[in-house]
Amino acid sequence: MLGYICKYAPVEVFEPMGVQTERIEPDVTNFNQAEIRMHPNICSFAKGVLEEVMSGEYEGVILTMIHEYETFSGKTFDEKKFCEYLKGKEEEQQYALKSSALNIGIIGARANESIKKILEENGANVAFDLTCTGLGRKILVDEADVMTGYARGLLGQFPCMRMEQAANRDELIRRSAGSVDGIIYHTVQFCDNYAYEYAWLKEWLDRPLLLLETDYTRQSGGQVRTRIEAFLESLSSGRDRAQRRAETGNRTGTGSRAGRAEKLRDAAERGKKGDGPMYVMGIDSGSTSTNAVIMDQDRKIKAFSVVRTGAKSGVSAERALNDVLEKAGLTREDISWIVSTGYGRVSIEFADENVTEISCHGKGAHYFNPEIRTILDIGGQDSKAIRLNENGEVKDFVMNDKCAAGTGRFLEMIARTLEVSLDELGAIALTSQDKIEITSMCSVFAESEVISLIANNKEKADIADGVCHAIANKASGLLRRVGMEPEFMMTGGVAKNPGVVRAVEEKIGSKLYICEEPEIVGAAGAAVYALEKMS
Amino acid sequence: MLLGFKLNKLRTKLFPKKGISKGYQKLEAMMMSFVADSLGRPDGYVWGNIFSPCEIIGGFGLNTLSIECLSCYFSGYHLEDFFIDYAQNTGIAPTLCSYHKTFVGAIDSGAVPVPEYAVTTSLSCDGNLNTFRYLERKKGVPFTFLDVPYRDDEASVEYLAEQLKEFAAELERRFGKTFDEEKLRQAIRIENETRRELMRFFKLQSERYYPGELISHLYMMMGMHLLIGTQEFLDLIRFMIKDIENYPKFDGKKILWIHLLPFYQETLQSYFNASRKYQIIASDIIIDSMEEMDETKPFHALAKKIIRNLYNGSYSHKADMVGKLEDRLHPDAVIQFCHWGCKQSSGGSILLKEKLQEMDIPMLILDGDGIDRRNSHDGQIKTRLEAFLEMLEAGEETEEKWLGSENNGAADRRLPEEEQEKAC
Repeated sequence: MLGYICKYAPVEVFEPMGVQTERIEPDVTNFNQAEIRMHPNICSFAKGVLEEVMSGEYEGVILTMIHEYETFSGKTFDEKKFCEYLKGKEEEQQYALKSSALNIGIIGARANESIKKILEENGANVAFDLTCTGLGRKILVDEADVMTGYARGLLGQFPCMRMEQAANRDELIRRSAGSVDGIIYHTVQFCDNYAYEYAWLKEWLDRPLLLLETDYTRQSGGQVRTRIEAFLESLSSGRDRAQRRAETGNRTGTGSRAGRAEKLRDAAERGKKGDGPMYVMGIDSGSTSTNAVIMDQDRKIKAFSVVRTGAKSGVSAERALNDVLEKAGLTREDISWIVSTGYGRVSIEFADENVTEISCHGKGAHYFNPEIRTILDIGGQDSKAIRLNENGEVKDFVMNDKCAAGTGRFLEMIARTLEVSLDELGAIALTSQDKIEITSMCSVFAESEVISLIANNKEKADIADGVCHAIANKASGLLRRVGMEPEFMMTGGVAKNPGVVRAVEEKIGSKLYICEEPEIVGAAGAAVYALEKMS
Repeated sequence: MLLGFKLNKLRTKLFPKKGISKGYQKLEAMMMSFVADSLGRPDGYVWGNIFSPCEIIGGFGLNTLSIECLSCYFSGYHLEDFFIDYAQNTGIAPTLCSYHKTFVGAIDSGAVPVPEYAVTTSLSCDGNLNTFRYLERKKGVPFTFLDVPYRDDEASVEYLAEQLKEFAAELERRFGKTFDEEKLRQAIRIENETRRELMRFFKLQSERYYPGELISHLYMMMGMHLLIGTQEFLDLIRFMIKDIENYPKFDGKKILWIHLLPFYQETLQSYFNASRKYQIIASDIIIDSMEEMDETKPFHALAKKIIRNLYNGSYSHKADMVGKLEDRLHPDAVIQFCHWGCKQSSGGSILLKEKLQEMDIPMLILDGDGIDRRNSHDGQIKTRLEAFLEMLEAGEETEEKWLGSENNGAADRRLPEEEQEKAC
């Protein structure tokens, strides 16, 4: 068997020679070989290919020319046979629109199956995939000159960004994009060629566009899912979305799909009849805290609870549930509908439905202050910037990459190094006298940079302030990427840190709105979703 | 901003850096003037990269401002972080080479005027095509893309020579000037002479202490790629050959540098700037083409030069060329700097190390960023470098001890002194 990577590999040539070919799609769990043979700053896809080829049963990899394969294998190539084979080959369908579903196109760097799987699970239709993995071949059969005809077909594929003639991609993308509801623009870390096109497309392409960066490994699965789901949510808002969800029934939650639908009907009936007050709950399972909010039918918060997320998100969710019910003086039966959100949203057994934290933060921010157009949410493990329209619907969002720089975890690390509590860190930053610049972007490097500052006897307050500014720099990058539309709001645990808040305000030259309990904005948004479901 | 650049040019001329040799002072002044003067006259230059054929462009009376050179220049003024952030905020990948990000950010933010034309190559660096295509769309600067074949054979040379001719014709059309082949021949004659003289200078630099800074080697790299073929640059190299004769014998460790140099990096500066113990005697990126060019067929000669460049083709080709440098200059060690975002450099570093191991030459791989200070970690670089230098010293000590036991322990007696110096 021969392995290949590139869509320009002439695989058809080999099949009539009786040689099987297979596109290498690495699904490896470690980089044992790559760590020995490759420099660390190489894209994970390349590392994965190395692992796969070294462990798989490949006779060789196609990077070269056909006559070299003849020498290599002792097999001969017969042009007539090849021509017959091509005639029998059917062109694969490239576009498939569905009127009943959200139609999504994928463009950019090679996308593996997991993206399509998440889309399908959410009831979206992959209308086209114009990345390296998705293309059907154009088969041109020219009996007078078989090879030239075949080569013309190969080169006539949707051009890759490494090709000189990639300029006409614009026109092809413009035409393809017109037919779909949204586009996922996929890039792979260290494969930089496609980011140029994203930067260019976002200036003129008249379609919702999600930039999705992956590293082609399974490690970032959770983040990828959140981004895709939030994007789908922003494409279809309100009832449509709920309807589609109920139909596809892919969501986790109590009972069967039919059971949930019945429960929803009962709850809605109860609300209409006026049999006493109706309550809903939003629960946000984050990496640092699990937050729950109970809201009544008049959109008033009845009670909320913030508990630390322990080693198991399901257990912390139970604790938050019991705590908030107790505070509200209610029982589980009084709650008509529960929407979960956050990283652990799918692990919350008692939730009826789950929605991504991005949409929930949008709803929550709008709930607390309808003037808000841009949200900066810095949580324990990620940070994001979200842009809203006047109805609180998400129009665009960006998230940090896998790296912890600029997140709550980063602050925790630094606080530990400085031997202060997380709460103190922000307060002492405000007393800083001397400006210190922390230049390292990686949190591990930043920590050692802080250690050398300590070694140089720098003041704690100045170091703390430097760290707050480092976070503000990261945050400002995110905010700029979604567009800096005022008013601004900051949510998440880090919003309680006055040092960071001041640094961000300085950086963006604008005030940040921060509600009384910034950690519950996502949960409040989830509760609003639950209420909307009841209305 | 341009005014600042011009003032600095004046400064390098009137008040050259102290502590470095006259030759390197002159080189710095020459490169500073080159960039400042070019930027002040946007109709007098085209954008390129370091592999662009400056010999053809020069024939039209135009300068070639390469993106590497410009980015480095901005970084000298510590503007790179602003430009890099600007580019990243528009969606350019953070993992892209910082030279490209700085360039894109500088141009896209409108901080620098744009020229009428540009040229780039597919050689080695894969950011080129996309950077220039992006700026063509956003800023309307059209460019010629020279597709450099990977293989070194007649058909490839022919193919590239045709593209170079077409490029010359394009410049004729764009700038309304006639191309003069004799000028190109003359440039090639000077270029051949410059390369010979440079090798002589490198040889001398491996024997004599000739104080320079990390950045001096970058200036030399820029000069060899953007000013090669000019009499002015040849004169400078000749001056350096004369000048170096005035300097004492160098008996420290001789380092052959591979790829770019992070000129701002404090630890590396402290070890290599005007150092009597460790001297960078040459760098592969300065002398990436080594062959004599045939002036009678100037376009073919240029095509051959580009195709046979050390950075083109398979990595074994590069390893062979580095091996040749080793044979001629006999360095004690090789240091490769893997610049953040440069897949070619990082990707090949392990292969080169294997090759050098076969040749029994110690090699150190350092990771960092050529211009973005935020991507270089001083602690890491310091530990790796110091351990490597200790290793080199230890190797020598063992050798000396062994020799010393045969020579009545003369070398042994020197050891404590050296140790003392090291501790200081």
